[in-house]
Amino acid sequence: MLVLSRQRDESIMIGDNIVITIVDIRGDKVRLGINAPAEIPVHRQEVYEAIQRENLRASRLAPSDTQGIGRMATRGPSNGQPTPPPASRGTEPR
Amino acid sequence: MRITTTRFGRIDVDGSDIITFPSGLPGLEGCREWALLADSSNDALGWLQCTTRGDVALAVVSPRRFVPDYSVRIPRSELTPLAIDDLRQAQVVVVVGRTGKKLTLNLKAPIVINLEARTGRQVVASGDLPLQFVLSSEQPPLKKSA
Repeated sequence: MLVLSRQRDESIMIGDNIVITIVDIRGDKVRLGINAPAEIPVHRQEVYEAIQRENLRASRLAPSDTQGIGRMATRGPSNGQPTPPPASRGTEPR
Repeated sequence: MRITTTRFGRIDVDGSDIITFPSGLPGLEGCREWALLADSSNDALGWLQCTTRGDVALAVVSPRRFVPDYSVRIPRSELTPLAIDDLRQAQVVVVVGRTGKKLTLNLKAPIVINLEARTGRQVVASGDLPLQFVLSSEQPPLKKSA
């Protein structure tokens, strides 16, 4: 890990299009400003990692696991948001 | 395009049906192209199938069908990469997960799809929303015969 010391209002550049600025330092809390291209997601690490784990867990589900989900809907398609449109021909789950 | 999947066998997907996720998804960063499939036995459910990895698919639902008052605040910086400034231009779905025997919905990180541009992104909604909102089924009470 590269370790740099910065004072308030100083910045770090990552690559040629990401800039991190120390906006404020108060006690043991640092406020960071991040300037990055819109397509690069920026998140608190623990939040991102939790989402990663949840996606990986979710990616193991199979149609047999989700069979009962219709019963848990509280609304039918006519008065809720539209259900995901079939992007291609419907498929028979195995 | 014909793709071979572990859940649905071989399926045909039109190029125009493909949704591109420029950043992939957290944990699935390599999967940039997905097809949204209907589940033929379950109209509440769709499957986002990765077109480059046949074993990777996510069950998704329209969140308000299960959580009627679900409303999200999504920072503009999360929507800009999709070229939308308003959630009304997008379709929002949430990923179905599981904890123990219960199905859950990821309300914290919904997937936002720009249907016109066929692009998508999983965004982090502001606020204290659960990654695993547990679904329960309301079963009608069993009636005993007289």
